[in-house]
Amino acid sequence: MRRRRLWLPAAALLLLLSAGLLSLVETPAEPPRKVVRFPSHMRDTEWKRQEARQSLPPLAAPATAPTTPRPGGDPPPRRDPFLVALPVKPGEPVVVFEANALRHSRLGELFIACTMVDDPRAIATFQEETGVDPLKDIDRIGVAGGSVVVSGFFDRARWDRLVAQGKLGVTPYGEGGRIYADGPGRAMAVWRDQLVVLAPDEAAARLSLDQLEGRAPVPEAAIPEDLAYGEVYGVIPGAAVQRLFSPADRALGAKLAAAASRVELHVDAMEDVAAVVRVEGEDRAALGDLARTLGGALAAGRLQAKAGSDQPLVELLDAARVVDEGGRLSLELALPAATLERWFEGCAGRQAPASPAP
Amino acid sequence: MRAVAVALDLLREARSRKWTLALLGGATLVLLLVAFGLELEVVDGALAASRFFGGGGVHEIRPVEVALRPLFEGVASFVFGAGLVFGVLACADFAPALLAPGRIEHLLSLPLRRWELLAGTYLGVLALVLGGALYGGVGLSLVILTKTGLFGWAPAAAALLSAVAFSAVYAVMVLAAVVVRSAAFSGAAGGASLVLFLVAGYRAELAPAFAPGLGRSLFLLFTAPLPRLAGLARHAFGLAQGRGVEVPLLLAQLGGTLLFGAAVLAVAIALFERKDF
Repeated sequence: MRRRRLWLPAAALLLLLSAGLLSLVETPAEPPRKVVRFPSHMRDTEWKRQEARQSLPPLAAPATAPTTPRPGGDPPPRRDPFLVALPVKPGEPVVVFEANALRHSRLGELFIACTMVDDPRAIATFQEETGVDPLKDIDRIGVAGGSVVVSGFFDRARWDRLVAQGKLGVTPYGEGGRIYADGPGRAMAVWRDQLVVLAPDEAAARLSLDQLEGRAPVPEAAIPEDLAYGEVYGVIPGAAVQRLFSPADRALGAKLAAAASRVELHVDAMEDVAAVVRVEGEDRAALGDLARTLGGALAAGRLQAKAGSDQPLVELLDAARVVDEGGRLSLELALPAATLERWFEGCAGRQAPASPAP
Repeated sequence: MRAVAVALDLLREARSRKWTLALLGGATLVLLLVAFGLELEVVDGALAASRFFGGGGVHEIRPVEVALRPLFEGVASFVFGAGLVFGVLACADFAPALLAPGRIEHLLSLPLRRWELLAGTYLGVLALVLGGALYGGVGLSLVILTKTGLFGWAPAAAALLSAVAFSAVYAVMVLAAVVVRSAAFSGAAGGASLVLFLVAGYRAELAPAFAPGLGRSLFLLFTAPLPRLAGLARHAFGLAQGRGVEVPLLLAQLGGTLLFGAAVLAVAIALFERKDF
């Protein structure tokens, strides 16, 4: 009778031994993935950064305008000249790159190191020719439709060389602006050696300066200051989403544009690269379908990448997810710093051998 | 010792069964088909060319065991997989037949302990499957030997690995037969355990498919003691490819498989001991 009772404990012991023995030689399961923080709102450092950038005085209210007291009686806030200068037109995308922050990010360091391997004098040559050190003097780059706005320190820029060579003509404009143009084509506006606007035509360059100096209203489509977080951020209207697709995929683009009236982008890149693409739309059902479609595509892509041993894609899709927030969806993509470093490992291999000692 | 007598009795019974004989006949037919149908002109040609040209016109001369690796890989995979399927199909009826009304009462009246009865049946079936797998594996090796002059151990090794893997599968089948006296149920349990053991071989890769937390923990806990069928198959394939064997890994996987089989058999014996007939 006693022996009868021994069989089950013996079975349990054997199962434990089996599990232990097999686990000893098993390839370890994937290590717990490092939690990547996605940019979801302005953080303290970004608020402080934003406050430091608000150097432009508030617009003086026109004498005829009704004076609406602000809640709490606070004076109207100062503004960020870079965001004010963005000549955004309705329906056009606007994306801002925090160039200086990106340059000091892990991604930036790796990218610059890689660039320097190919051409060690590339940056020095650029600085000699223009007087601008791209690694130090450029703070932000904004792309709005066909215009590019660059903020930074341009007091050492060699604008005079362009004029002396006869490439561009210069015209003072407004209180602190200059317009450089060579005729009816592209034009460049410089404002107080802080902002440079590269515009498709002179009118667009003038518009930027007008917005800065209060002669033209700041477009509503521009980026609100409380959305200026992350190292890359921007807003893409639904109509612009449609234009991102090739003519062959125009129907797909139209469907996406119908579901997504506004796409917001935020990327953190200081250590890990974490991107959030937030899609808003009026049609909640269509947006829900879009979220599920994207989720399914990510899952299928992940499986396919694993089956095909496409490790970079596996790592990218492993940290990707779609969050349906009811009325809007967020697509989150992440690249851990360790993965980035592996991607750039090839650069080290291409590094030129050190010159022999004399 | 009495368990061995039961095992031998089972082998005698298998010899008289038409179903077992039919499967054995099928294996023999496959061997004959391979023996007469295997076309090895490419290999013959390469060997003749190397003899004829003495290396002058042949850019790449490979040893014949390297040239024949794809053949051994295919044969080893076939033997490993077919050995398991053969086992499930051929042996699904043994344990339910042992427990059949009339026969079990007779067996229990003999001077045999219950555990000896079940363990003897288990060992007898394993011996049958091992014999069948070796028959197929060594037979294929011999066929290739006669065709190419090269003897490869890979099919025989695959047969042995398959028999060890089957020891865990058959333990589950015995347990199923003790719970429900049905050959169909026993066979289904064998098929299901094959799938589960395959899954267990990929548990690290599959775990991320479960949400972190209870679900994933349960999956990892449940699959931890299960034999890694894919791992054993990889060893069989690796031997055929001429790769060395990672001995600690192989021993651990073989040991884990045997321990799991013993554990499930112990559960079956525990249930059998409590059953009234």
